[in-house]
Amino acid sequence: MTTLIRKFTVNTVNLPDWFISIGRNFTALIMPFIGIVCFLFLWSLSASYIDTSLGKFPGPSAVATQIGNLYQEHIDERSKEDAFYQRQELRNSERLANDPNYVVKTRSYTGKETFIDQIATSLVTVMSGFIVAAVIAIPMGIAIGLSKTLNNAINPIIQIFKPVSPLAWLPLVTMVVSAVYVSDDPLFAKSFINSMITVTLCCIWPMVIQTSVGVASINSDWLNVSRVLRLPALTHIRKIVLPATIPAIFIGMRTSLGIAWMVLIAAEMLAQNPGLGKFVWDEFQNGSSQSLSRIMTAVIAIGLIGFLLDRGMLMLQRKLSWDKTSASR
Amino acid sequence: MKHSVKKIKQQVCQAVFAATVALSTISVSMSASAEKLGYPEKEELKFGFIKLTDMAPIAVAYEKGFFEDEGLYVTIEAQANWKVLLDGVIDGRLDGAHMLAGQPIAANIGYGTKAEIITPFSMDLNGNAITVSNKIWQEMKGNIPKQADGRPVHPIKADALKPVVDKYLDQGKPFNMGMVFPVSTHNYELRYWLAAGGIHPGFYAPEKGDTSGQIDADVLLSVTPPPQMPATMEAGTIYGYCVGEPWNQQAVFKGIGVPVVTDYEIWKDNPEKVFGITKDFAEKYPNTTIRLTRALIRAAKWLDEENNANRGEAVKILSQSNYVGADAEVIGNSMTGTFEYEKGDKRAVPDFNVFFRYNATYPYYSDAIWYLTQMRRWGQISDDKPDSWYKDVAAKVYRPDIYKSAAESLIAEKLMSASDFPTLATDNGFRSPQTHFIDGIVYDGNKPNDYINKFAIGLKAGDKI
Amino acid sequence: MSTFLDISKIDMVFPTPKGDFTALKEVDLKINKGEFVSLIGHSGCGKSTVLNVVAGLYQASKGGVLLNNRHVLGPGPERAVVFQNHSLLPWLSAYENVELAVKEVFSKTMNKAEMKEWIEHNLKLVHMEHAMHKRPDEISGGMKQRVGIARALAMQPQVLLMDEPFGALDALTRAHMQDSLMEIQDELKNTVIMITHDVDEAVLLSDKIVMMTNGPAATVGEILEVTLPRPRDRIALANNTEYNRLRSAVLTFLYEKQRKVEVISNKSATATKGENKTPKIEVA
Repeated sequence: MTTLIRKFTVNTVNLPDWFISIGRNFTALIMPFIGIVCFLFLWSLSASYIDTSLGKFPGPSAVATQIGNLYQEHIDERSKEDAFYQRQELRNSERLANDPNYVVKTRSYTGKETFIDQIATSLVTVMSGFIVAAVIAIPMGIAIGLSKTLNNAINPIIQIFKPVSPLAWLPLVTMVVSAVYVSDDPLFAKSFINSMITVTLCCIWPMVIQTSVGVASINSDWLNVSRVLRLPALTHIRKIVLPATIPAIFIGMRTSLGIAWMVLIAAEMLAQNPGLGKFVWDEFQNGSSQSLSRIMTAVIAIGLIGFLLDRGMLMLQRKLSWDKTSASR
Repeated sequence: MKHSVKKIKQQVCQAVFAATVALSTISVSMSASAEKLGYPEKEELKFGFIKLTDMAPIAVAYEKGFFEDEGLYVTIEAQANWKVLLDGVIDGRLDGAHMLAGQPIAANIGYGTKAEIITPFSMDLNGNAITVSNKIWQEMKGNIPKQADGRPVHPIKADALKPVVDKYLDQGKPFNMGMVFPVSTHNYELRYWLAAGGIHPGFYAPEKGDTSGQIDADVLLSVTPPPQMPATMEAGTIYGYCVGEPWNQQAVFKGIGVPVVTDYEIWKDNPEKVFGITKDFAEKYPNTTIRLTRALIRAAKWLDEENNANRGEAVKILSQSNYVGADAEVIGNSMTGTFEYEKGDKRAVPDFNVFFRYNATYPYYSDAIWYLTQMRRWGQISDDKPDSWYKDVAAKVYRPDIYKSAAESLIAEKLMSASDFPTLATDNGFRSPQTHFIDGIVYDGNKPNDYINKFAIGLKAGDKI
Repeated sequence: MSTFLDISKIDMVFPTPKGDFTALKEVDLKINKGEFVSLIGHSGCGKSTVLNVVAGLYQASKGGVLLNNRHVLGPGPERAVVFQNHSLLPWLSAYENVELAVKEVFSKTMNKAEMKEWIEHNLKLVHMEHAMHKRPDEISGGMKQRVGIARALAMQPQVLLMDEPFGALDALTRAHMQDSLMEIQDELKNTVIMITHDVDEAVLLSDKIVMMTNGPAATVGEILEVTLPRPRDRIALANNTEYNRLRSAVLTFLYEKQRKVEVISNKSATATKGENKTPKIEVA
């Protein structure tokens, strides 16, 4: 019946092919564009009506200006950095002349972190925390998925810790890190370790759960294949369990990366650890006439990066996962 | 008889104390003059600060290259609040920080976190003010006498606020005000101002677990981090606050409140912030300690040089987002010799921020003792202590010996001249009795217990909560 | 000739929340080397259970299986299984699926080149040489089943166990696959147990058709010897009287002697069990 109708309409109206293809592209390309334009319009309209004690709420043009400013600040800071190293080199050579035993050491730049530096810091933190979580969670999830006994033992603990906001852990993490991570010349800053552990804590649970569910629901035929072949335990995990669970692992990874990014920003705000969250908080505290538009710029950057992280994971999933249907959106 | 024994005891203590101070000073200055100051043991340092204009010496020492001149590579990092900052110094995350004068003292006597923090450098004099919301200002304005030009007579005393507070109390409404930390200058200044006007700011009773400081209070004081003061007042949570700059000028700028009195008017040239490091740090890295003190002294001098000629540049530095970050206009309002009270009522206060003049950078024992007297007055120190105890604590925390060797080496290297430190040779760590308090009470650092007994409101010798 | 595969009086009891369910009762079957045996019966009669016990995937509750006079204790590549829905690993290409099996079985006896040759040989045998490097989701259902057979054959099993290998295929593909299987069988002379629902398939392919009674407590009902000469041709056989006799004998067994009675009002445990396709307890 439906085919009949379709045939009928196409025949009578007789639309050319190019017209139909434009129609399709219209929805795929033009509509998001129209959506964004409408949003920008509504945003700038409503922004002009919101008055705060720090001036008007920033509209798109204020944000655009700040993007320029922040980029310029970054460039300026880099040239200050170059000057810093030149001065240091000079000072070191002077000292070497006076004190031949001196072992020249180049100290890294001590200037402020620009917006772009903060973005980089946040990205590095979220990825390291995420990778550490994956390294712990995936083997753990596999073990739990494979062993009913282990599942019974660990599941209640996971269920209790899963709903805890990692921000609640933050004070504990901070105290433990400062007590345990003591070193005169630490490889990583404590603030980095704190943020990273917080990210790890929030990434771990979704990944463990998804992985173990994925392992527990592997197609029994594949397990039988493995049994018939008498695959040794390790080969079994490597050749059957791991690949079979990859779609589930990716679901867990994407969920947790999304949460991690949100949590990291909040944690940085709360603990004043370097990163985008600190940038937002510092600007809020500065309370200058530019603060709001800078914060708005950061908000947009945070959203954009969150989106790109998810797309990145999706691309990785498409590349690594055999199950193309689960990676479709 | 009993009295005289006590007096003799006191004198003996004082003598012993003076001798130890003299000895330590001599030994340090001898070693300093005997050999040239060595390279810093630790070169990479991280200093914390709170977004306030009085952190200027640190920012200036960095931006003008004074730290680098000493071979120090310093990272400067804003902290969320005073507690985080202090914990940072204690646990070693920070090597040193811009601190409230009360913080190292409280840490040494174990009020709050117990730790051995010392200060070789006092960062500034004055710089705070008390601001009230527009609504409270309207209610108290009528109680203030007027000058010929119709502007209120300064200093405005808390007497003008008392009827307003009483009205709130009659209506059963709590009167809340903000200060930045239980042992902050602001807490003691706000309390001093309120009590001088007959308003009780409340006692602490730490041994009973009461650290809110609201026992018997007419006005309830609570802690709010400085940069959040204006927003908290705007939200109506507090009716006023005592804080450093630029957060009073911010209120004027935003039109949400009116500064009524500066701390310069409450106690002329009161010591404000100090630079705090741990005792361990100073012992482990003596050269670094002296060198960072040198850099800070030079920065302080730069800030006050040639009758505040550099203040404009300082304002520009401080308005950078990584330092104070407020608009240059707001920071400039108080940094450049003026202070704006009610919108449009801008008055000259050349000494609102003093960084170097009047021996501002010298860590006086008597300054430390003043803070201890206020801690005792409001019950943070719950038991009576002999005068000697006050001096012992002061000598443990304030380290003029380090300051002195820094100053002497600066003079020796001709980076500064002896005339920059007119009283360096004769100073014994005590300022001569100070008279310029809003209530006219005289403070002599040698007699803390006498001083405490002079106040109408507050604990006196023998009192206990 | 002594019995090659001896299925000796197996009982199979599954514990269920409602009490034990006896799926098989005293299933007894002797199979000679090189024989092609079909198991036929209504769904739910326990054909797959028998196969799984022989494969070692299930342990019989009573009785046991002897292969070449050795007790079957667990699964192993000498009893390769071709599963009903191909069960290829979707993340591996056709070649890699076969390779996984070959590597496990011949890791000690073959070098790399020999393995490669052997894998390719087996894929050629099932006419899959043109799509060796395609993944399962890129090839048709019939092709997947061919790869599944190649994987089983590549293990050089003593017994090849096939669980309704062509059940999911359309009629044309199925006929094709049957012809291919006969070709291969002529060449390799494997011992095969095949489960089927399809009477024509059973008669066409088998040397022996084992007809099972309905469950619960299903057992071997009748055994029919198929002596039609090989190679067999499906078109020629259509008019063959012997073929038609065998066909009707099976049909008679299934639809008269073991007619499945489904009581609508009182759905018996058997019927419920029969439709129950949970992955673990597959009784169908």
